Amino acid sequence: MAETGALAKPFYGLSSRQRDVLLQAVTPPLIALAGFAALLAAYGKNPLAAYWDVLHGTFGSVRGLTEVFVIMIPLMFCALAVAIPARIGMVNVGGEGQLYIGAIFAAYAPLTWPDLPTAVMLPLMMCAAFIGGGLWAGLCGYLRAKSLVSEVLSTLLMNSVAGFLLQYLVFGVWHDPKSSNFPQSKPYPAAAVLPHLGTGRLHVGLFFALGTIALFWFVLYKTRWGYEMRAIGGNQEAARRSGIPIVRYIVLLFVIGGGIAGIGGMAETSAIQGRLRPGFSSSYGYIGFLVSWMSGHNPLLIVVISFLLAVITSGRDVLQITQDLPGAAVNILMALILFVVLARRGTQAETR
Amino acid sequence: MFLKVPAENSRRKGLAVLKQFSGKSFVLLCTALLPLLAFAACGASGTSTPPAAAADAHASFTMGIIHVGSKTDAGYNQAHAEAAELVQKNLPYVKVLEAENIPENADVSRVIENMISQGAKFIVPASFGYLDPAMQVAAMHPDIMFDHPAGFKQADNFHTYWAASDQHSYALGMAAGKMTKTNKLGFIGGFSIPNVIDSINAFTLGARSVNPKAEMHVIFDNTWSDPAKEAASTNALVDQGVDVVTMIVDSPITVVQTAEQRGIYSVGFHSTGVQKYAPKGWISGIGFTWGNFFAREIQSIEKGTWKSNPKNLLGDLNSDMVTLAPWGSAVPDDVKTLVEAKVADFKAGKAQVFTGPVKDNKGNMKIPAGKVGDASLVNTIDWYVEGVIGQGS
Amino acid sequence: MNIAFIAGVLSNAVLSGTFILYATVGEVIGERAGIVNLGLEGVMLVGAVMGFVVTAQTGNPYLGVLAAALAGAAFNMIFAYLVVTRRGNQLASGLTLMFFAQGVTAIIGKAFVGKPITGLTDLRIPGLAELPVVGHALFQKDLLVYLVIPITVAAWFLLYRTSWGLRMRAVGEDKTVAFAAGLKPHRLQYQALFIAGLLGGIGGGHLSIAYTKTWQEGMTAGAGFIAVGLVIFAAWSPVRAILGAVVFGGAVALQLQLQARGANVSPFLLDMIPYLLVLVVLMLFGRVKGRVVPAGLKDVFEGTG
Repeated sequence: MAETGALAKPFYGLSSRQRDVLLQAVTPPLIALAGFAALLAAYGKNPLAAYWDVLHGTFGSVRGLTEVFVIMIPLMFCALAVAIPARIGMVNVGGEGQLYIGAIFAAYAPLTWPDLPTAVMLPLMMCAAFIGGGLWAGLCGYLRAKSLVSEVLSTLLMNSVAGFLLQYLVFGVWHDPKSSNFPQSKPYPAAAVLPHLGTGRLHVGLFFALGTIALFWFVLYKTRWGYEMRAIGGNQEAARRSGIPIVRYIVLLFVIGGGIAGIGGMAETSAIQGRLRPGFSSSYGYIGFLVSWMSGHNPLLIVVISFLLAVITSGRDVLQITQDLPGAAVNILMALILFVVLARRGTQAETR
Repeated sequence: MFLKVPAENSRRKGLAVLKQFSGKSFVLLCTALLPLLAFAACGASGTSTPPAAAADAHASFTMGIIHVGSKTDAGYNQAHAEAAELVQKNLPYVKVLEAENIPENADVSRVIENMISQGAKFIVPASFGYLDPAMQVAAMHPDIMFDHPAGFKQADNFHTYWAASDQHSYALGMAAGKMTKTNKLGFIGGFSIPNVIDSINAFTLGARSVNPKAEMHVIFDNTWSDPAKEAASTNALVDQGVDVVTMIVDSPITVVQTAEQRGIYSVGFHSTGVQKYAPKGWISGIGFTWGNFFAREIQSIEKGTWKSNPKNLLGDLNSDMVTLAPWGSAVPDDVKTLVEAKVADFKAGKAQVFTGPVKDNKGNMKIPAGKVGDASLVNTIDWYVEGVIGQGS
Repeated sequence: MNIAFIAGVLSNAVLSGTFILYATVGEVIGERAGIVNLGLEGVMLVGAVMGFVVTAQTGNPYLGVLAAALAGAAFNMIFAYLVVTRRGNQLASGLTLMFFAQGVTAIIGKAFVGKPITGLTDLRIPGLAELPVVGHALFQKDLLVYLVIPITVAAWFLLYRTSWGLRMRAVGEDKTVAFAAGLKPHRLQYQALFIAGLLGGIGGGHLSIAYTKTWQEGMTAGAGFIAVGLVIFAAWSPVRAILGAVVFGGAVALQLQLQARGANVSPFLLDMIPYLLVLVVLMLFGRVKGRVVPAGLKDVFEGTG
């Protein structure tokens, strides 16, 4: 890429290209922080105190830091669910629903055979979750591959259906008779709970998420399939003409993506909730979509952006308790970052 | 404005955008932001911690309370929030940490841990659905005391409390039974937990004691708080001919206002300030006043006697935990006298809500003649009395 | 199943379907211009909170409705700036706006939770309100309910019988061709989104000022997504959107009326019906419907927009 003269001067030892990348990465959060600070000030709060409280709450203690990771885990799973199909140009907005279906499928084992040993129970739950989420997304992928229904529409609609199905089950057949009509399933037996790391709520799901991301990176950049995926993503027609089986890839990648989101659902209900409950996802599917989009569907960036958004989200409680702001206010900060990236990326978009 | 710009222009435009953030401009941008932050830091007021404690030697004490909804919902959450305020007023050395709109799942354990790390020694997870997660946190912090409203499980450092409101429900049921013209009463509930079923039954029994033709229609919303559903449920009841409606949902506002708009009577629940939403149709309501109870709990924690307090406290009419809301203008005097007499009977122990014979709405005899229903029914009841239509979900 | 039951379901369906219909019609206009707004939920929330706040402050619910409409439109202008001027990704922008609205409305509305307001009152239409069954259901409702059908028809008229509508649909079909033909696509898209914002805001306003007369964080509870689904169900036609709203409102009303009579139907299975219907219809008539989708949305639905 040719560079104009004005940008050719080095910037603190970095090449101009590296400086651009750094500035690109750093300015959205800075602008967002400034904007949020202005909002806080307008409501009579002290922004510096608020930010300090959030930093202290998240990084100032082991517990705070583990809570960030706890949020990061489902975000990474849901972001992968978006990133994998996105590599061939497919849009999966259905992470939320796939998460719920995975949890539902995973719940079958502990609720039906509570006496299974851990070594059988946990893998069974994960497989079931993968199958559930995979089927849920796979259906949408198939419909898209056969040019019947846009995957954007189908995945979106299936989100709502999944939510209702979950409620139907916890109010109905899977309802815990000992919870006096409150909608939740029986608590999972200890064998069905993912092991925790340390005394906090952090659990081994973290390793699964990171491992899956690493695997995704490896497949994408180091294998033939990854090469083919990237080829399809670049130009579907050209790829089809070179003999790459597009339909197969579409369905397969949706199944894999949905399955991974399903495992995320299993991890949440097993390790964090300890049972099946309605509404256990705090919009992880949609935030995951934004994470993946913001990362350009790049596996390594997904980790970074998940961490960033998890830090922001975990500031919710602190803001409430110490600043008397509604917890939902952190969404503003998240949105501001995204606004900057959206506006900038849109103008930079290559021609269609 | 060009739609399809050639690639070359696009790249240049992109670089131009980047140029804005090149070295000098970037520094300028940051410098411009600094005064804003400084102004914000100086000019804005501080955090919302309560006013400085009175200058006495009493050691400070931190209490945490978690609301499932909004503090100003004129209902369940407001009752608890007002209780916390009363505690701060009467015990100025107490600092209260509050969180609102926390969903009823494992998220609450995160909030509780947060409060504990800020020094809270007494936690009130103020919603039924917090029970399991809160108990798990309690098990990990044996030195922190928990009081949970309407829970049905206890532990060493985890007590539950509620106030028997079914006697008030019975009495108000009598008022409803007297004032209804269609003989159809309505009840909107959040979840069909025993607590709620108990109130439905008490209300129905009271109504039928003065009006044997009264029948009670029940709708469960499957959520403690959803204004659209509550409005729809109220309308559905009124369309069935109901002309007195009551509820157990977190905020009575929507139900009461919808009732007012449709021109029917309403009976409130949870707090004593609801009549302003229904100046014409308001009968009365039941309000919970936990403030003094919380203060007593805090003082017993300080003295070290908390663990000998009852593990499951059920305040009755004679306690200061539950009260009747003021009467509305539509209530005739004879109804007032009737209700107040019954309340006095309850207080003196001369009457009971579940006095046999009591049949359920399927015809089975549940409490034979001469017997009285146990007070523990409020935590266990799962059947509806005769006259209740609709078994909920 | 008697007359009172049917009347009750009809009345409740009309009431609970109105705010959804406003939002759906608004979204139809936006999508006809080639823009999908997944942040419709946010537009409705903004309308709901601003409508409630203004009603509480001024005591005049009609001012509140106006405020709701304008707030929705202003909020949608942010969306328009992102997707039209800056050409940001539509799906991501929409979702971002939704989160933004959740935060902003929570802060704005916090001081107003629990405030009593004089909501929109029911206006009886004398004579017609005495009709059996439909009397109360259709002719004793608030102003916004009365207006929703005329406004929907007006939207249809605007889209299909005015030159503005023709130009806008042309933009929605193919921006490049429209531009080559001398139209100003960006301006038209802004205008379409402005109207969509007005309608979405009114929908939210109806929810808070007339239907529930309260404000609560996140009170729309997914209605925005329901509306986006209904647009598909309605095959991008405003008048067919009425059918969608009736199905949706009817499912809600039916379930509640059945409960009140003691019948036990799972509300969740009933809730699923509108969504499954849309999917089935899309699957069966997918290739046909494919021609019904405004071509300009193709890029969005194929992930390149």
